[in-house]
Amino acid sequence: MLETVIDIRKISVNFDGFQALTSVSAKVQRNSIHFFIGPNGAGKTTLLDIICAKTKPTSGRVSFFSQKHNAISLTGMKEYQIVRKGIGRKFQVPSIFENLTVGENMELSLKSHKGIWSSIFQKPDPQELEEINRVLNKINLSDKINVRAGTLAHGQKQWLEIGMQLVQKPEVIMLDEPAAGMGKSETFKTGEILRELKSECTIIVIEHDMEFVKQIADVVTVLHEGKVLCHGHIDDILNDPTVQAVYLGRGKGNE
Amino acid sequence: MKYKVENISFATLALILAIIPLLLELNLLAGGSTVIFIGKCMSYAIVAIGIDLIWGYTGILSLGHGLYFGLGAYGMAMYLKLVSTGGQITDFMHIGGLEELPFIWTLFKYLPNTLFFMIAIPALVAFLVGYVIFKNRVKGVYFSIISQALTWAVYSIFISLSPYTNGNVGITGIKSLFGSVKGDANRANMYLLFYVTLGILILTYVIAKFLTQRKFGKILIAIRDGENRTYFSGYNVCLYKTFIYVLSAIITAFAGAIFVNFNGSITPSEMTIEFSIMMVIWVAVGGRGTIIGAVLGAFIINIGQYNLSSGIFVEIWQYIIGAIFTLTILFFKGGLVGLISEQSPILIKKFQQKQEQKQEQEQKQEHKQTKQKSEQIIITKPKEV
Repeated sequence: MLETVIDIRKISVNFDGFQALTSVSAKVQRNSIHFFIGPNGAGKTTLLDIICAKTKPTSGRVSFFSQKHNAISLTGMKEYQIVRKGIGRKFQVPSIFENLTVGENMELSLKSHKGIWSSIFQKPDPQELEEINRVLNKINLSDKINVRAGTLAHGQKQWLEIGMQLVQKPEVIMLDEPAAGMGKSETFKTGEILRELKSECTIIVIEHDMEFVKQIADVVTVLHEGKVLCHGHIDDILNDPTVQAVYLGRGKGNE
Repeated sequence: MKYKVENISFATLALILAIIPLLLELNLLAGGSTVIFIGKCMSYAIVAIGIDLIWGYTGILSLGHGLYFGLGAYGMAMYLKLVSTGGQITDFMHIGGLEELPFIWTLFKYLPNTLFFMIAIPALVAFLVGYVIFKNRVKGVYFSIISQALTWAVYSIFISLSPYTNGNVGITGIKSLFGSVKGDANRANMYLLFYVTLGILILTYVIAKFLTQRKFGKILIAIRDGENRTYFSGYNVCLYKTFIYVLSAIITAFAGAIFVNFNGSITPSEMTIEFSIMMVIWVAVGGRGTIIGAVLGAFIINIGQYNLSSGIFVEIWQYIIGAIFTLTILFFKGGLVGLISEQSPILIKKFQQKQEQKQEQEQKQEHKQTKQKSEQIIITKPKEV
């Protein structure tokens, strides 16, 4: 069970003089839900950007230990290559293809037919279509398959984007605030969807909503000003005095 | 369903086009020049399809497609000129001080070579430009500016290299591939050229339609709507963009080559920025994102220009075009096709709803009035008593 799937080792990032991350290390275990939390500007999104190669680190490296192929270093690869290796990413703002239908959105996310030639001359096979239906059922969108994605409700868009990650059959899926802008019941449902997914893949989440973290987190890493503050089970984290001081305390103060 | 309507519309248009030479035979048209003009419009419609593929579908706004139109057109014109001189060097080369046929002209001495190079050269230019730009993820207005600057540069080069290109005057005095198309004696040639062009227009439509209906077309729309997301769905966006850009350049170059056959000459004004922007206007007004929209836009704007840009309108035609373009961008993003297929049904619905509301209100008012009347009666009744 305790098998590392993503090893983040001493990552530092410097944006034109601004030190966004300083020597951040973390290990993500297979089939776990791993949360990165921290105040605004702690570097959570930057860390995800580095894992999926949207941003290049100044130093350090990220390794990916896959079940399907040899261990690889993700640092220096292109984003679409990393996606093809089995790491999916969902962004903070729901970024789905608004002018395509739900079904087309899912079809584009399938693992096969990524080249120009095959996208012109090949069609998804029955197995893949079945897979799309299976995932749509899971995210409660199976009756919306022919609906234009732009017309979905906010929560449904978020789920669709999670679904788009799932049909890629990723080993790791990274979610940037999946419950942002959702109501309580929708957030809870998102949590349940993620919990079901845990058996299929490893999930990395960034989130502010503490209820949501408590609901599903296996491991939590707290980031603060670009550094790892602490790391462990959610109950330990919540009881940690330094965490309370920099993050939770401030959160309470704001309220 | 929507696809069917589009295909039926195009088939209707193609039928109308096919009848035009018959109308001339029946003396219903003023003269052969109308047929030649419609032929040019067909080449413009082919250009519009090329523009629509990159702009309407993929979101790449090229303001320099005159470059590819010009490259295709000059390639064909060089061959046709050499046919008329019998492979000898031309007058303007003599004047320019050349003694032999320049190397670049020798590529266009025979038809098969010409057909190859008139496509290969623009395709290569588009590939180099596109690949470098898209690889570096230059997008939006920056791409548009680069495409303009490039076209301007090539335009200037074509003017300055007058021994090779005849500068401002361009290559003139050429016949079509099928012989002269001017005058009543050459009507057979003109009809042949006309129907071949119609065939190419239909073929281009079918190819564009096929591509956009496959998953490939969905990926283009995905790139337009969310380029980043498309990268993270595992697509090499740069390759897709380069591919469609090169295809668009090839289509445009082909159209340029057809245009020369109808026009009988080619000048650098066909590779200016103004002309490139006109191409975009055709697509915008007709309706980007639908192939039929692009085709219709090319016909409507050019027929409008043909009929209005003489007489009192000659001075203000440019303003009319500008106004139409601005209005389209501001209020009718889907162009004419969007207006018909999307905006008008909504308007009709609203209108119907309003009418229903009115009726309801009227009914309510009537109801109220009758109620009031009855109340009045009730109120007044005791008074009477």
